[in-house]
Amino acid sequence: MTRPTADTLLRVLAPLLGGLALGIVLQATDSRARLYTAASPGLVAAVAGLLATVVVAVVGLARRRAAAAAVAAAATAGEAAVRQVAEEAARDRLRFFMRLDHELKNPLTAIRAGLANIEQAGGLVLASAGTAAALASVSMQADRIARLVSDLRKLADLETQQIETAPVDLTGLLDEVAEAVAEIPAARERIIRVTVPRAPWPLPLVEGDRDLLFIAVQNLVANAIKFSAPGDTVEVRASEDGNALLLEVADTGAGIPADEIGQVWQELARGRAARSLPGTGIGLALVRVIVVRHGGQVAIRSRVGQGTVVSIRLPVPDRARIAPDVAGLRQDRDTPGMAAV
Amino acid sequence: MGGPDVRPVVILADDDEAITSNLAPFLDRAGFTVHVASDGETALELVERLDPDGCVLDVLMPGPDGREVLRRLRRAGRWLPVVLLTQVGESAERAIALDEGADDYLNKPFDPYELLARLRAVLRRARPGRRPLSASPTLRPGDLRMDRISRRAWLRDTELVLTPKAMLLLDYLLTHPDELMTRDRLLEVLWGFDFPVGTRAVDNRIAELRRALGDDPARPEWITTVPGQGYRFVARVDDAR
Repeated sequence: MTRPTADTLLRVLAPLLGGLALGIVLQATDSRARLYTAASPGLVAAVAGLLATVVVAVVGLARRRAAAAAVAAAATAGEAAVRQVAEEAARDRLRFFMRLDHELKNPLTAIRAGLANIEQAGGLVLASAGTAAALASVSMQADRIARLVSDLRKLADLETQQIETAPVDLTGLLDEVAEAVAEIPAARERIIRVTVPRAPWPLPLVEGDRDLLFIAVQNLVANAIKFSAPGDTVEVRASEDGNALLLEVADTGAGIPADEIGQVWQELARGRAARSLPGTGIGLALVRVIVVRHGGQVAIRSRVGQGTVVSIRLPVPDRARIAPDVAGLRQDRDTPGMAAV
Repeated sequence: MGGPDVRPVVILADDDEAITSNLAPFLDRAGFTVHVASDGETALELVERLDPDGCVLDVLMPGPDGREVLRRLRRAGRWLPVVLLTQVGESAERAIALDEGADDYLNKPFDPYELLARLRAVLRRARPGRRPLSASPTLRPGDLRMDRISRRAWLRDTELVLTPKAMLLLDYLLTHPDELMTRDRLLEVLWGFDFPVGTRAVDNRIAELRRALGDDPARPEWITTVPGQGYRFVARVDDAR
């Protein structure tokens, strides 16, 4: 039910988006027509901005359609049917992102080439200050759309792509994250604490893709810094919890209003507080996908005015659960079949 | 290519007129003589007729697509440098692009200056009339041997145990020897997209390669660090006879 709607929408919008993009390029690059000065710089920038907005709107619409379908199914059928519809909707969304990404790549390539052309042509064009500013603006907007598109693509890729599984030492990874986020200017005005247990044994290793886990944790800490104020505290806490490793990123920032907390894991979710800040709104969705692909879970707790805690729970494979020299003893005791050996 | 004052001739094949009409003048101003093809058949004809110095092929074109054009060129023993313009970010896709003998590839939407840099690099590396390293199934830099089809590598008689990403990285470095590889470029090779911050991811894989190769970063035999910029594979690379 959702497919025809999303597809039709894309079919209708793709040429429009392409057309808008081409419009910008043609308007900006046809030197014989000397249009750079004729085209209002404000208009060109506005069209590019519009492009970005349309993408966001289309994606939001696709998501709402999928949710509506799930609700409709829930009203008429059992739990299994609901799950089936939800999975189908997720696949639809994935296909939709891939096609959106695909449809936008060529116009974006053309826009970038057009801009490079103008830049290369040099002096004459850039002589007027207004034109230079307009070009810079178009270039920035094109980059913004490119980033948005590639972020959505990244999500789609991660949901399907095979991920590497190798033992990952989170202790070392957290040190690296701490180093990486220290380079964010606002980090200097936050109190950042990383707590990792080292006694009586270090954190167990988890199985997975180190690069992806790095992105997940880095995103959470960067978010905590972004949504807090100078003087606030950001804590990164790791602990062992049964068969899992628990990682929490907590901040004493503004917190998330109750009516927004349900949506934070969705792609392009941007809370009211985030609207004034840069970003594509893909961070937490990316974190969720990465953690889920590692067999883990994510959760978020928040109180407005007090702060937010995001937690990640990752499964720990049996053999890595406790320190290696203890593992032998434990195995003898816990595995009756092995005890006699 | 002739002397330094001769403009290299390149074929630019893409079915999207918005792209060719913008890229062609850009490359022209950058010093290339550009011939545009809007489909695979035309690209093959132009190569036949003009014997160009290089080729930029979009993977998605009507008729024979970019990959098919590349395969036909290589089958016919034409070893001119080819840059593929790819659409998909998946690592399998990238591996295939290199396996099929593309000298390099770029994901759309790319920065046109990046295309310029890649194109210049592959032309510089070209060995007229000889198969490019990227189209060679086996590479032999010194004591190292890499079977690019099975994706296995040996140092003297010992097989290297590498993660798939480190192997992909080694393959890319071996087929682009003596070229400065920025961390960003290597990230794209590994992941097909730019990371939030993790250029450290590249450093980790390079460290893995160095460990496997027994390379001392202070006195490197294989991979040198270019401070603040990236890495360079410095050993001489030959293809197997």
